[in-house]
Amino acid sequence: MKNKIKYIIGLCLCSMLTISCNKDYLTPIPQTSITDATAFDTPERVLNQVRSMYQGLKNGNFYGGRYIVYGDIRTEDFINETTNGVTGFDVWNLNPLGTSQNSVKNLWSQAYYTINLCNLFIDGMAAKGSSVVGATLSNNYLGEARLIRALSYYSLLQLYARPFADGSGNKPGLPLRLTGIKGSGSSDLARSTVAEVYTQILIDLGFAETNLPLNYTTAELNTTRAHRNTSIALKTRVYLTMQNYPAVINEANKIVAQNLPPFSATSGVAHALQPNILTIFTNYITTESIFSLPMTTAAGDNPGTQNQLGYYFVRNGSSLGSAEYSLNVSGILGNPSWTATDVRKTGLVFTNGTTGKKFVSKYQLASPYLDFPPVIRYAEVLLNLAEALARTNVAVDAKGLALVNAVRKRSDPATTIVAVTQQQLIDAILLERRIEFLGEGMRNNDIMRLLQTIPAKGSVASKLPSDQGYIWPISSDEMSLNKLMTDN
Amino acid sequence: MILIFTAVFVFILSAAAQNRTITGKVTDERGTPVEGVSVLSPDGKQGTQTDSEGQYSISLPASVKTLRFSNVNFEVISKSLGSQLTVNVSLKAKDSRLEEVVVVGYGTQKRREATGSVSSVKGAVTADRPVQSFEQALAGRATGVQVTIPNGVLNTPPVFRIRGTNSISLSSYPLIVVDGIPSPTGDFSSTSAAGNALASINPNDIESIDIAKDASAAAIYGSRAANGVVFITTKKGKAGKTKINYSGSIGFTTAYGVPEVLNAQQYTDYKNRAATNNQNLNTTNPAGSGYTKFALTNGPDGNPINTNWADYVYRQGFSQDHNINLSGANETTSYYFSGGYSKQEGIVMSNDFIRKNILMNIDSRFNKKITIGGKVSYSNEQNLANVSSGSLSGEAFGTAGLGRTQFVTAPNVSPYKNDGTYNISTAGNFIGAMNNSIAQVGFYNPVVGLDLNRQNSETNHIQSTIYGQYKPFSWLSFKSTYGIDYLFVDNETFATPVHGDGFAAIGSATSTLGKYKRWTWNNILQFDYSIKQKHNISALAGQEQDRRTSVGFGINRTQVSDPVYTVIQAGWGINNSSGSVYGENYLKSVFGRLKYDFNKKYFIEGNVRQDEYSALPFQKETFWGVSAGWDINNEKLFGRLKNVFSTFKVRGSYGKVGNTGGIGDYATYSTYGSGLYGGNPTLLFNQAGNNNLKWETSKKLDIGLNLGVLNDRITIEAVYYKNDQSNLILNVPQAPSAGLPTSVPANVGTMYNKGIELALNIVPVQNKNFTWTMNFNYTNNKNEVTALAPGLNEVLVASSGLETVNRTAPGYSVGSIWVVRQAGVDPATGSRILINQAGNRVLYRFAPIAGAGQFNWTNPDGTRYLNAAGQPGTINQTADAVMYNSTPKFYGGLSNSFKYKNFDLDVLLTYQGGNYVYYGSWAGLHDQRFWNNHIDVLQAWQNPGDVSSVPRPVYGDNVSNGSALPMDYSLFKGDFIKVKDLSIGYNIPSSHLSKLRISSARFYVRGSNLFIFSDYPGPDPEVSSNGNSAAGQGVDRNTIANGRTLQMGVNIGF
Repeated sequence: MKNKIKYIIGLCLCSMLTISCNKDYLTPIPQTSITDATAFDTPERVLNQVRSMYQGLKNGNFYGGRYIVYGDIRTEDFINETTNGVTGFDVWNLNPLGTSQNSVKNLWSQAYYTINLCNLFIDGMAAKGSSVVGATLSNNYLGEARLIRALSYYSLLQLYARPFADGSGNKPGLPLRLTGIKGSGSSDLARSTVAEVYTQILIDLGFAETNLPLNYTTAELNTTRAHRNTSIALKTRVYLTMQNYPAVINEANKIVAQNLPPFSATSGVAHALQPNILTIFTNYITTESIFSLPMTTAAGDNPGTQNQLGYYFVRNGSSLGSAEYSLNVSGILGNPSWTATDVRKTGLVFTNGTTGKKFVSKYQLASPYLDFPPVIRYAEVLLNLAEALARTNVAVDAKGLALVNAVRKRSDPATTIVAVTQQQLIDAILLERRIEFLGEGMRNNDIMRLLQTIPAKGSVASKLPSDQGYIWPISSDEMSLNKLMTDN
Repeated sequence: MILIFTAVFVFILSAAAQNRTITGKVTDERGTPVEGVSVLSPDGKQGTQTDSEGQYSISLPASVKTLRFSNVNFEVISKSLGSQLTVNVSLKAKDSRLEEVVVVGYGTQKRREATGSVSSVKGAVTADRPVQSFEQALAGRATGVQVTIPNGVLNTPPVFRIRGTNSISLSSYPLIVVDGIPSPTGDFSSTSAAGNALASINPNDIESIDIAKDASAAAIYGSRAANGVVFITTKKGKAGKTKINYSGSIGFTTAYGVPEVLNAQQYTDYKNRAATNNQNLNTTNPAGSGYTKFALTNGPDGNPINTNWADYVYRQGFSQDHNINLSGANETTSYYFSGGYSKQEGIVMSNDFIRKNILMNIDSRFNKKITIGGKVSYSNEQNLANVSSGSLSGEAFGTAGLGRTQFVTAPNVSPYKNDGTYNISTAGNFIGAMNNSIAQVGFYNPVVGLDLNRQNSETNHIQSTIYGQYKPFSWLSFKSTYGIDYLFVDNETFATPVHGDGFAAIGSATSTLGKYKRWTWNNILQFDYSIKQKHNISALAGQEQDRRTSVGFGINRTQVSDPVYTVIQAGWGINNSSGSVYGENYLKSVFGRLKYDFNKKYFIEGNVRQDEYSALPFQKETFWGVSAGWDINNEKLFGRLKNVFSTFKVRGSYGKVGNTGGIGDYATYSTYGSGLYGGNPTLLFNQAGNNNLKWETSKKLDIGLNLGVLNDRITIEAVYYKNDQSNLILNVPQAPSAGLPTSVPANVGTMYNKGIELALNIVPVQNKNFTWTMNFNYTNNKNEVTALAPGLNEVLVASSGLETVNRTAPGYSVGSIWVVRQAGVDPATGSRILINQAGNRVLYRFAPIAGAGQFNWTNPDGTRYLNAAGQPGTINQTADAVMYNSTPKFYGGLSNSFKYKNFDLDVLLTYQGGNYVYYGSWAGLHDQRFWNNHIDVLQAWQNPGDVSSVPRPVYGDNVSNGSALPMDYSLFKGDFIKVKDLSIGYNIPSSHLSKLRISSARFYVRGSNLFIFSDYPGPDPEVSSNGNSAAGQGVDRNTIANGRTLQMGVNIGF
C-alpha cells in the first residue's frame, strides 16, 4: 500500500509540473495593432491619428470616390451604361432604397465613421494627446479634426436631409454626434434640425480657421492637409448652400481680395487658378487644388474596387475605367454655351471611338486609379463669390462677372460671358459651375441648395422637390438600430 | 562460465524432455476456421496463434494442465488438457452489443454503460464515397446530426449541425477531435477553390465516428462543447497476421438541376418585347413599332449563334480514388499504415481536388506496465479552380461567378468571335455584345477566365501524436499525450489582364502562405476499481494545454510587365502585402470524470472541466455535466417483462458547456490599426472591443429511453433534448451613426433548441443467406431566438454583402428569411402585385412615363400609392417584409442494407422539411435587364386578362422580379427526400480467391445523389450561399448545385 501511495503522489507531482504553463500565453498582447489605452502616448501616434481622419474621409465609399460620383450621377448630365446596382444604378434612377448597401448604407456609415474618428481624436487630445504634442501642434491638429468633421456633416446633409432652403433648415437634419464612441450603448440619438447641423459645421470651421496653420512646408501637404484657407474656402461653400450670400462674400474676400483678375489668395497658401485647367488633373498639388485627397498604389491607400472616379467616368482605350456613366447628350454636354473649342471639352471629355459616347476624362490614371479626388478648388471659391455677389446685387455685379469670366476664359479664351440682367449673370454662373465641375460631384448640391427639380434623363423621370426620392432615404441599419431616428 | 553454460544446457534438456506438443483446430460456432486466436498457457510463458486454417501447434511442459484461447471477437475459453494431443476448440462469438464501445473524451466506455447521448457511426459509411471529407457523408446517418452540402464545389465544408444551430455569430460547427487531438475545421483556402481542413483525414482511414450530443458526453470538452463533439478514431491494427487491403474506385459526376434558360431566338424576341414595353427607352420609336435592341448574330458556320452557357461552365467530372493499407498486431504491437491518392474532378470546369495522404498508427506494449504509441498523418491537398464558382460564402454576387454566368449571359453571343478570338468588349470589360445594339449582354466572358486564370490552394497538413502510458496497477494508469496539428496553406491566384477580374489592374497575381500551428499536451490519471464486482468506480483527472498560432503573409502584384507572365515571381508593377494574419491563443484546462455504477444497473456520472482561454483573459469558468442511467432490464423486479425486452434503459443528463469557436484572439481589446494616407502612416481606430467578453454557454438537458426486443433485433432509442443557449456572443451592430469600425461583441443573446430524436434499428430478416437491416432516424428540432441585445431587435445578414434576406429576431428561428409578399401578377396591367404591411395590394410598374400621372407604385385602381404618413410610398423590406423559417423542423434518414449470399445492397434516403429556402437565383432568372431568363418567362403576361405568374416584361426592370426587393416570389419550401446513396456489391466467394492469395474481394457500383423528390424549382434545396453562417442560412443565390455521382470500385484484401 505504501508503494501505491508513492506512485499516486509521484504521478500527481508529474501532473503539477506539466500544468505549470507559460503565463504570457494567457494574456497575449496584439502584435499588429495598438490598444486604445496607449494610442495617444507618443507624438508619432498622435500625428498618425491625424492622418487617420483624412484616411476616413478619403475612403472610396465617401469622398475618395462615391460621394463625388453620386453628386454627378443623380443629375441629368450623366447616363448609366451598365445597369449595375453596385455602381450606383439606383442612385442614377433616383430610387435608392434605405437597404441599398452600396449607396445609402455605405456612404452613411463611412461618413459617420470619419466623424467618430474626429470625435475620438478630439476627446483623446483633451485627455492626453495635447500634453504629448504641446499646445500649438495640438491646436493645429484639433483644427484639422474639426474641419474634417464639418466637411463630413456637410456632405451627409446634401444627400440625406432636405435642403436648407426648404424651411430655412427647420427640417430634420442628422444625428449630431460630437463625442467619441468606443463601444456599445450610444446608438440612440434623434436628428437635429438641418439648421442645427449647419450651425455646428460653421462653429467647427470657425475653430479650424483660427487654429489651423497658415501653410505647410510642402506643396503636397498644402493640398492634402487642411490649413487656414481650406476652412475659409469650405465656409464659402457652406454659406452658399445656406443661401447666406453676404457671409459667402465675407469669407471669400479673405482669400479673393482683388476686384480684377488675376485673383489669388494673399495670405496663407497662395491659391490661384492655374493657367491651364488640364494642369490640375495631372499635377494634383498646385495652388488651385485647395484640398484634394492623395492616393498611392499601396493597398488601402486608394479608393478600392468600384469606387474610383476614373472607373466610373471613363474608358480610354483598352485599360482605364469601366465607363459606367457616359455624358448625356441632352445634358450640359449639349448646351450650346459650352463651345467646342473649350479646353474643358477638348481636353477633359473623351469620345469612345466605337460607340461615339462621350465621357468625363478628368481622371486619367489607370488602375489602381491614383487621381486625387478634388474636395475643393480655388475655381469654386471664385464662382461661390461670383454667385453671392450676383445674388446680392440687383444690378449686374462687376466683380461677379469678372470672376465667372476668369473661370471661363481660362479654358475658352474666345468667349466672354456677358450679362445684362442680374438673372443672366446668375444663370451664367450656374452654367459655368456645371461645365467647370463636371465629374467633380457639384451638380447635385447646386440643384439641392436651390430646391430645383432634378431634370429627367434617359429613362429616368424628373424629380420635383416634393417627390419621394428627391433626397435619399436613411440607411435602414440606422433606422433599425437607432430607435430615435426618423426616415425621410 | 562453464558452469552457467552447463546449467542452461541441462535446463533446456530437461525442459525438452518433459514437453509434449498439442495441436488442434479452432473454429467458430458454424465450424469456420478462426485465424489469429491466441493460444496461451495460464502463466503466459507458452503461446502461439492459429493460422488461416485455424490450426495451431504448441509445445507445452507437463506442468501445463489447461490452455486459454482468446480472440477479440470471441468469448475466452479455457480448456483442460487430458492426455490427448489434439485439442479442437469451438469458440462462441462475443455478444457484440455488450462489447461495443463508444469513444468519450479521453477514453472509451461500453455502450451499455454510457449515460450520455452518443451516436456512433462506423467508418465504413464514409469510406469509398464520392466525398472529400468524412463529414460530407454523415447526412442521414444519425439522429440529431444534420449535414448539408452547400454547393457543388469540391471540398466545401458542409453545414454541420448537431441538435440545431447553437450559436448565432460564433461557429455552430461541432468540435472535431481526431484521435484525441482537436482538429481545425472550416475553409482554410482564401481562393475560390474551397479547402476544408477536415479533408486531410482520408475517409477510408476512419474506424469510427462517435458524436457526443448532450452535456454529459461533451462536458469533458468544456468551453468548446456547445455544438457537440465529434470523435474520429482512425484505424488501428487488429490481432492477426499482417493484412493488406486495397480499395479503389472511379466515378463520374454530373450536374443536375441546371436552370433552363431561353435560347438565342427566344432571348432576342423576349428582350426586344421588354424593350418595346419600356416607354422611356422607346420615346424615339413610334409606339408599337417594336424595338430591336437585341439581334442574332451568325456564327462561323453561317447559322445564328445559340450558346448554351452551361456547356462551358459544367462538365462531367471524372474521379479516381486509391487506398492501400497494411495492418496487423501481435501480442505486443499493433500497427496500421496506409496511403491514399484521390483525384476528383468537380462538375464545374477546372475545379479539382487532389489528395495524397499517409497515415501510420502504432501502439506497443513495451512491458506489462508501459505502453507507448502514436500516429503520424500527413496529407497534401490541392484544391484547384480557375474561376470563382460564385458559390462559396461571400461569392454570390461576384462578377466572375460561374453559377450566375451560366444563366445570366445572353445566349445569342458566343465566347468566341468568328475569327476565333475571345469575344470581349474592351470598352466595358464585358463579353462582347455582337449584333445586340446594347453595350452589355453579360458580365465577363467566362471562357477567358476558365482558360487563363487560376484560383488554387494547396494544403499540407500534419497531424501527429505520441503518447506514453504507465499502468502500475490494474486499477491505475497515467497517460501523457502530446500532439501537433500543423496546417500550412499556400494560396495562389492569377487573373489575366486580357479580360475579367484582372483586366482593370492589368493582370493580378496573389500568393499567400498561412501557417496554422497547434500543439496539445494532456496528462491523464485514470482510476478504475471494482468492489466485490458490484460497486464499479471509475475516475479520471486530467489537465491539458492547447496552443494555437496563426501566421500568414503574402503578396499581391498587379500590372504585369509582359502578357506572357502568369506567376507571381515574374515582372509586375505594383506590389502590396496580402493575406496578413497574426494570431495566437492558448487554452489551459483541468478536468475530471467520476463514474459509478451499482451492479451494472444504476449508473451515475459527472464530468467537469475548468477552462482559461487567452482570448478571454483573466477569466476561468467551470463547465460540467451530470448524468444517470437505470438499466431496468437488469432489475429483478422487471421479472417477466425480461422475456419481452432485451434492453430497457432510461437515462438523463444535464449540464453546462460553452462555445468559443470564432471569438477573435484579441476580441476583448479596442485597437488602433495601421494604414496609410497618401503614403504616410496612419493609426486608425479599427476595432471596438469588449473587455467583459466571456464564453457562450449552453445548458443541455437530455432524457432518453432505449428499448430492445427480440434479442435486440428491434431497438428503439427515443430522446428528448433541450439546449438553452445564453450569453450568446453577438457582434452587436451599433447604429452606423455611432461611427464604430466594427460591431461590438457582447454576451447578449439567448436561444433554445429543443426536440426529439427517434432511432429505430430493425433486422427484419436474418438467416444464413439473407440479411436485411434497417435503420430509420428522425429528428425534430425547434429553434427559437428568445433575445438579442437591449435595443437590438434584429441581426441582418447580407448575402455576399449585397442582398439582405436573412433576419434573426426574437421569437423567430435563427437566420429566418425576410421578404416582402407578392400576390402574383395583375391580370389587367401585367404589373407585379405586392402586399404591404397592412395587407393591401400595391402594384409596381417600372419606367412609367414621367409627368404623365404614372407612378412606380400604385394602388390597384392606378392612383399613386401613399404610405401610412400620406406621403408617396414604396414597398420596402423594413416596413413590409415578413419572416419565414429557414431552419428545418425535421430531418433524418432511412437506410436499408440487404445481404443475399454474396450480394449486398445498401440504400440511404435522407429527408428534411419544414423550412423555406430563398432561391435568389430565381429572382435573377426573371430579371429584366440584359440577363437571360428562365424559360417560364415565355408564359409572361402579354394582354389584359392574361393570367400569368410572370409580369409584363419591361426592359431594365429589376424590381418586379425580386432582384432589388427580395420577395416571396423567390421563396420555396425546402422539403425533400433524396436517394443519397445507393450501392450494390458482390463479394467474390473465397473459394475462388484462395488460389490468387486474395482473402477477400468485393466489387461495387454506387450512385450518390441519385434522385431528389422535392417541389423546389432550383437544383437542390440542400444549399447554402452563405456557407456555415448560422444567421445567413437557407439562401440559394447563384450557387452551383451538387453533383450526381456514379461510381464503381473494388475492395481487395490480401
